[in-house]
Amino acid sequence: MAASAADIRSALSIPEASATAGPSQPKKPALTNTRKPEGISRELYSLIGPSAPSLAAQLIKPRLKQKPNFGGGTSKTRWELRPFKNSGRRDNLELQHWEKVTTDPATEYSFAKYNVQPTTYSYSQDEYTRFLEDKDWTKEETDYLFSVVQDFDLRWYIISDRYDYPDGPSRHMDDLKDRYYSVCRKLVRNRPWAGDELSKSQLMASFQFDKERELMRKKYILSLENRTPDQIAEEEALYVEVKRLEHTERKFKRDRENLLRTLAGIDSGLPDIVEDDGSILGLSSESPSNIGSNKKKSQRKSGLAMDADSPATPSVASTPVIKRPQNLKNAAYDAQHCIIRTDVPASGIATKAAHQPAYLRTFKIPVMKTAVQQKVQEAVAELGLSSSRLVMPTRENVAQLDAMLEAMLALLETKRLVEKAEYDIQVLKKRLGLREQSTADGEGSILGIEGGESTHVDYAPKGGDIVDETPGENGRSQSVLSVRSARSRKHPRRSLSISSVDTVSTRAGTKRQKRS
Amino acid sequence: MVNYGGDEVSALVIDIGTSSLRAGYAGDDTPKAIIPSSYGYHPAAPEADVTMSENAEQAEPGNKFAQIFIGQNGPSVWRAGMEIGNPLADGMIQDFNPIKPLIDHALSKVMRCNPSEHPILVTEPTWNTPYNRERMAEIMFEEFNVPAFYIANTGVLNAFAAGRGSALVIDVGEAMASVTPVVDGFVLRKGLAYSPLPKLVHAHARHLLVSPTTQRRGIDLIPYQLIANKLPVDPGALPNFALRQDRIAGTTDSWRAWAQAREVDEWVQTIAGVLDQGWNDQLAAQRPVRQYEFPTGYNMYFGSERYQVGEQFFYHSPQLASNANLPKSIPALITEALRACDPELRQVLMGNVVLTGGGSQFSGFADRLSTELTRSFPHVRLTKIHAPGNPIERRYGAWLGGSILASLGTFHQLWISREEWQEHGKAIVGQRCK
Repeated sequence: MAASAADIRSALSIPEASATAGPSQPKKPALTNTRKPEGISRELYSLIGPSAPSLAAQLIKPRLKQKPNFGGGTSKTRWELRPFKNSGRRDNLELQHWEKVTTDPATEYSFAKYNVQPTTYSYSQDEYTRFLEDKDWTKEETDYLFSVVQDFDLRWYIISDRYDYPDGPSRHMDDLKDRYYSVCRKLVRNRPWAGDELSKSQLMASFQFDKERELMRKKYILSLENRTPDQIAEEEALYVEVKRLEHTERKFKRDRENLLRTLAGIDSGLPDIVEDDGSILGLSSESPSNIGSNKKKSQRKSGLAMDADSPATPSVASTPVIKRPQNLKNAAYDAQHCIIRTDVPASGIATKAAHQPAYLRTFKIPVMKTAVQQKVQEAVAELGLSSSRLVMPTRENVAQLDAMLEAMLALLETKRLVEKAEYDIQVLKKRLGLREQSTADGEGSILGIEGGESTHVDYAPKGGDIVDETPGENGRSQSVLSVRSARSRKHPRRSLSISSVDTVSTRAGTKRQKRS
Repeated sequence: MVNYGGDEVSALVIDIGTSSLRAGYAGDDTPKAIIPSSYGYHPAAPEADVTMSENAEQAEPGNKFAQIFIGQNGPSVWRAGMEIGNPLADGMIQDFNPIKPLIDHALSKVMRCNPSEHPILVTEPTWNTPYNRERMAEIMFEEFNVPAFYIANTGVLNAFAAGRGSALVIDVGEAMASVTPVVDGFVLRKGLAYSPLPKLVHAHARHLLVSPTTQRRGIDLIPYQLIANKLPVDPGALPNFALRQDRIAGTTDSWRAWAQAREVDEWVQTIAGVLDQGWNDQLAAQRPVRQYEFPTGYNMYFGSERYQVGEQFFYHSPQLASNANLPKSIPALITEALRACDPELRQVLMGNVVLTGGGSQFSGFADRLSTELTRSFPHVRLTKIHAPGNPIERRYGAWLGGSILASLGTFHQLWISREEWQEHGKAIVGQRCK
């Protein structure tokens, strides 16, 4: 037995440390405050005091790894077998289950809260006679219906399955529903209502039941079930066909857009291709067996045919709609920057009118018909202008040229009529002369004279045209150039380049002429 | 515990079928006690003074049994003069005399528990009579002194075992095949369709075996218990065995019939099957042959005939079908059940087909059923067959459903307590167990 410090003191008759607190004595309170480390005996610790931690660390015993604490730091959970009562029961049955000791035994059974009873309606004899009389239903049977409904918590399939009123007529589920809901509606309507109108109307709406509609719906379901395999196969085939048509339609549209894009260029302002989801054919992605009955099918068929005949192209319809508001908005901007927008021509093939790319105005210079062209050119040459190409095709110039050509055509037409009239007069005069002669010579030579005349008339302008062709070319372009330079002296550089372009286009023009 | 709504009150679940009686604790996934429903007995004769053998349970006085042999060592052990009985006929309990010993054996001998301490849930087929369920309640309350009792429908329990509130339960058992529409945990009684189809299949298989064909003689269905010794023989050769002559005299007709039925069932369960696409001579011939050896030592390769057996579940030949008493085939039962249902419900039910019962483990049954369903009901978009792959779950689906139901916290208000039984009498059973 190791002796404690107190023992040694008492043995050596040293007074108690607390009694005479010498300076060499360690302080007692400090000793009591520090806990004795484990692995060192109390006696040794009280001798050496807390000032030898390294010693304590050496003396501490090696220990095994601590056991994992699965309980999350809490102590063991105690369970006990306890009898409990269920408030959902009307008797005193006590069943036993295991519960944590910590739970209060007096608390209500935790599953009792799921025992909810739906609100049930009942009526007095007086109410029945006043509101609820029905020639098909006796009060007893209505009572029976209400009791069954309450038994099975408004599960109508089961109610109609178990409904068995002795000596009553056989009732279908919809008959039962109709009766029950109509009684409920009448009761709600005729009784004083405590709440507000909104909740009353909501309650009334929850009792709404349309028997005819239900029966109709069930009939449809039945007809859907009674389809023969052939009909089902036909529907499937039609469905596949519709899908295929939609697919080709989409593919066609995509190809066309791609083509337009290629022709018109990337920056042509073509709107992005809109992939439509097939809604044009009025079909969503529902499966064919969803769509029932022959009637519906035939409708679908006709609808399909109609759509196939007129392949609507949504992009055509949508593009102008998008553009117009822009025009209105930017009118001021356009005026400021001399931008002139042209409307997409309404005429023409609809599919090609989807987009109008930017173009050089020279392409829009009206081209005369080949028959009249030469005459027009002649006339223009008469005026001292070159008729082949407009060098500076501004909007005004083009309009002027257009107007001029219009007038020219009108003039030519008038001229032609005049010539014709003159010729007729001439012929008639000659005939008159001949007739006067024939009274003397006879009628033989009239025809020959006539033929000679006509060939002469026809030939003369043709030959002249061919001769005129080549020399007219240079002179014309020069004259136009001079007109142009006079008009746009402020931009000499640009006009120069334009003139070079122009010569090229003139050459193209001559080629075209030759070809015709 | 509350998370899945369970609250175990150590209830017992008892499911009595034609082939076996299952008992166990609610909340378990497998019944603790599975004993055959068939039992052996020595009929009580006035002069009978039979010595008690070890496995015999002394029957109560006034019963028709002097001795009754129950459990795994009951009917399957040969005893001189032992008759075999089965309390069930057409899936329903017809004879309540052996019910108490059977249940008692399962609870006291196998599970070793005291029934008076546990609420008990018992199953019943949908076509059970009110008398039967009241009698069962009486047995439970009066003879087993249970604190609480409930009787639940096998169709509903099978749906619960599959995790569904609404389902079309196709239950093929030992004696009966039934199709039960279940909606919201209630059976639609008008839609119930059932027939003793498995018996027909059994009879067909037996006929196939015992009648001679061009390749083989008729097969003797002699059980192991009557064979003293045998020698291995080549396939198709005559069996070389010796009978236990000492037992022949003491063998009763009912035991012999029971044993022979077992031999047929063994054969059916081992090698019989059904083609998944309907009968086709060529396909059946292409299937591999399988060898089977009978207790006599006679063994044979069975080819297409093993597929003829299963065909009886789905299709009856015209000459058979002309018989009005012929049990309806599975597709006919389904059609009948669906026709009685509301058109709106049919889609729901066909989308939740639950296949259960030991008979449904017939090889290829589920595949063939799905073929038949898509063929017979092409308008149904989605037929989903829920057939548990686990054989225990498939065979004891009703027990499993009962185990789930009786361990639910919300169920405990439905028990018929002893107090209620004493107060209301038999009427409470019909009121409570809808």
